[in-house]
Amino acid sequence: MNAAALSPAVLLVGHPNVGKSVLFHRLTGAYVNVSNYPGTTVEVSRAAARFDPAAQLLDTPGVLALPARSDDERVTLRALLEEDCRVLVQVGDAKHLRRSLALTALLAELGLPMVLALNMHDEAEARGVVLDVAALEAALGIPVVTTVATNGEGMAELGRAIAAARAPRPLLHYDAATETALATLTARIEATAQHPRLTARGLAVLYLGHDPEATHWLAAQPGKLHDTLATLRSAAEQQHGGSYAESLARERGEAAGLLASRCLQRSARATPLLAQRIGQWVVHPLWSLPILLAVLYAIYQFVGVFGASVLVGLLEKDLFEGVLNPAVTQWVEGSAPWPWLAALLVGEYGLWTMGMTYALALILPIVSTFFIAFGVLEDSGYLPRLSVIANRAFALIGLNGRAVLPMVLGLGCVTMATLTTRILHSPRERLITTFLLALAIPCSAQLGVVLGLLGGVGFSAVLAWSGAIVGVLLLSGWLAARLIPGRRIPLVTELPPMRLPIAGNVLKKTGGRLKWYLIEVIPLFLIGAFLMFLLEQAGILPAIVNAGEPLVSGWLGLPKEASAAFVMGFLRRDFGATGLFAMADALSPVQAVVGMVTITLFVPCIASLLMIVREQGLRIAAAMLAIVVPFAFLVGGLLRLMLSALGYGA
Amino acid sequence: MKPAAQSQAQSQPHAHARVPLGFLAPGREARLAEVGAVDTAQREQLAAYGLTVGCRLKVLQQKPMTVVLAEELELALEPGVAREVWVEPCP
Repeated sequence: MNAAALSPAVLLVGHPNVGKSVLFHRLTGAYVNVSNYPGTTVEVSRAAARFDPAAQLLDTPGVLALPARSDDERVTLRALLEEDCRVLVQVGDAKHLRRSLALTALLAELGLPMVLALNMHDEAEARGVVLDVAALEAALGIPVVTTVATNGEGMAELGRAIAAARAPRPLLHYDAATETALATLTARIEATAQHPRLTARGLAVLYLGHDPEATHWLAAQPGKLHDTLATLRSAAEQQHGGSYAESLARERGEAAGLLASRCLQRSARATPLLAQRIGQWVVHPLWSLPILLAVLYAIYQFVGVFGASVLVGLLEKDLFEGVLNPAVTQWVEGSAPWPWLAALLVGEYGLWTMGMTYALALILPIVSTFFIAFGVLEDSGYLPRLSVIANRAFALIGLNGRAVLPMVLGLGCVTMATLTTRILHSPRERLITTFLLALAIPCSAQLGVVLGLLGGVGFSAVLAWSGAIVGVLLLSGWLAARLIPGRRIPLVTELPPMRLPIAGNVLKKTGGRLKWYLIEVIPLFLIGAFLMFLLEQAGILPAIVNAGEPLVSGWLGLPKEASAAFVMGFLRRDFGATGLFAMADALSPVQAVVGMVTITLFVPCIASLLMIVREQGLRIAAAMLAIVVPFAFLVGGLLRLMLSALGYGA
Repeated sequence: MKPAAQSQAQSQPHAHARVPLGFLAPGREARLAEVGAVDTAQREQLAAYGLTVGCRLKVLQQKPMTVVLAEELELALEPGVAREVWVEPCP
């Protein structure tokens, strides 16, 4: 990684959801997840460039604007400051020239050789937007190319443009007072600390706009540079009557608007495109709810019925239980020299009979169908529209609709979703969302197991489970929002165009996710099965089962053997849920619902716990764990009392 | 807090045409006149989306959130924010 960081880099930078990751794939051959919503990329990806194998191409998280305000924007600014950037490729949306140029106006100040790639040129043309590329090139002094990354249009031109990249002309001079403040800061930076690539003026513009990463870099320079700069900035702000951030952005926006009006023609369209009309229907006050219910029902049919029943039936019942497991068991028992080895491999907690069977026959079909359905949703542009529909409910829990994205992603994988909370705008929103993800959002594997078990009991069981989880989500979110200090930020979000998902991209994404999933799951399931085997052989498991009896049987009303599932749940919640799934025949409807609700709320899996430690620190992760475990049992027991009082399943 | 636009509306002869974006009927087009009492971060965010004084926008819907089209960019704004964005409706 360090060696890679030292070779010269070409950085892809731009607004969210303009196609940087698709371009990255086209220019390197390396695949990173791409979707039709802002915030898919929250970390820097790097790979060797096809047009120059000596150079590496870096894909960065989208920036709504610079100076950076959210954590993913800070990642991009850090890349600009720290990578050996040879060329900066700004990727812009050809439909939104004015907005793209407002970012160009800031990037141009950094003094790096630049190229402007105006992507999604086809969508711009379909909307009657015609760009004068030659006029743009003349005004900016850098190569400008139009591209359609999804079909490869303009890639050769972009490769040539990168070779011909030049430092851009400045787009504007700020007003006199701002220029004076900038000149003072620039002179001080120039005299004390030279950045190896970025101009002192670029750093001054960022610093005057209170960019946290530029401030951090300047503060790390030797001497008292930062103290002097802070004094100069305060004095300038006092004269200005407040922070410069807003007026800097406004002036850049105005300069961008002027240039855009010279280089763009827009022909009026009489009727909106079909994609635009569909986009409006799905957030329509009347139609949005029926459409949402239809989407959820379609997912339930595909994942819950086709994946968790039909495919699991074929794989688990017919293939594993019917053919593979008897054959493997017979062969192992016949050839294993010691009985304990046979028990380790094919016993009740055997590596094959439990570990591999759970991972391949129960989980794999469920997560495969889920990832396909999820990929289709991601690429359609529906997910950002969900934030409009769900905004009011999220307001109850101190969040705004933007948090829908990590929450919905959590249904795929809570670990990745915890990382995606970086797109949220305040530490408070990140903390509440991370907590709710750890507590009440089941990942795809667990969701599939839940649907598989409760679907067998009846639709009412699925409803009771969903009601309990949504109730817990709202209640704990409401409490968290009141206990965690800070203010809720109202939602303003862009809604990308609805698009027909491309089958190739959905399959590639599904394949990548499955590979990642299996690499993580199979070893953990094998380790889990091995630990269970050891506990069983050492006589500890029966002791745990007995010790857990008052809680598991007395309070939750489950058979005492279910304690084993909770022990398994410490490794992965879905492993624990699968343990309950395996004893489904022995459970009454109330026990099935209570067991699944408790294990859904139970500890987050080890991988996501490590991610919480990485993103929020050890103290917060430990505090979350200390809240989540007793809370899961508390809710489970209360639910049991409630369901029994209502006579459910009687 | 009383938005500046409101006090101007009482003093300027042409300012009576200004209305909060959140009150404009779907289908209407308008020019952004002023962003009122929203915090700095939100103001920066609106500017980053291109919602600056003078920009032209079209209201697509008002419920559950205000959705506008500004230069081919569809934006959704919470009612509290849409009430603070003052626009001059186009005829």
